[in-house]
Amino acid sequence: MSAASVTVLPRRTPPTILVVEGDVRTRCLVSDELRGSGFKVLEAGSAHEALTVIDAVRVDLLFIALDLPGAQSGLETARLAGARQKPIKIILASLDGEVDPGGLGPLVRKPYPASQVVGLVMRSLNWPAPA
Amino acid sequence: MSTLSTNITAEAGSPHPTILVVESDVLVRLVIADYLRECGYRVHEAVSAEEAVAILQSPEVSVDVVFSDVEMPGTMDGFGLARWTRTNKPGTEVILTSGAERSADIAATLCEAGPLLRKPYPSQDVVDRIKQLTAKARRS
Repeated sequence: MSAASVTVLPRRTPPTILVVEGDVRTRCLVSDELRGSGFKVLEAGSAHEALTVIDAVRVDLLFIALDLPGAQSGLETARLAGARQKPIKIILASLDGEVDPGGLGPLVRKPYPASQVVGLVMRSLNWPAPA
Repeated sequence: MSTLSTNITAEAGSPHPTILVVESDVLVRLVIADYLRECGYRVHEAVSAEEAVAILQSPEVSVDVVFSDVEMPGTMDGFGLARWTRTNKPGTEVILTSGAERSADIAATLCEAGPLLRKPYPSQDVVDRIKQLTAKARRS
């Protein structure tokens, strides 16, 4: 086969997702599911960690819990992240009873199936499911 | 379908050792966790010793090596986590890392095999230590 007959398809770099969740087992589960679907996943356990990462690394999508530990809420953190890094997609996760703030991005209610988050991330980023 | 009410995905049959990186500095954790994943390891991340214990206690999670900083916020530091792991998860190896000279000396005493890395450490050194420990575990 001649070299000229080989077609090299361009490879898309997987989008980077930042998962911000104070509960380590929830964070671990969702991050694992997203990695299994081909995304590059970064993890943060608090608002402070999330903003540190946002300031240092290009993030395509922020998946953030509203109920974060510490003084700064997930909602406030999401707004700050959106202002610091543009464009960035945002998906919020909330406990039952928390009000959907609206406007920032889609919201999933805990406890959610991790597959629901993966599907939502794929749709938000227009990213195809792995073959 | 897995939900948050279920446990973390079972890891049985994973061809690569699973590493638990415990580091309170998010950018340090991000870099070493990323490097280890690039090397083919399955990696879990914990911000603190308390989070590390929560992961180690998950019945479906099997961690082969805990790679932990010594200095951490909270009620348990890296030494405490190493002791907890040896007591409760005797099959799990522990590598401690520290930027403090004194802590490094104490850790060298604490860890029978002396698996300790002083900060800043080259990422490849971590992989070399993990390979040594997992090879030793397989032989014994």
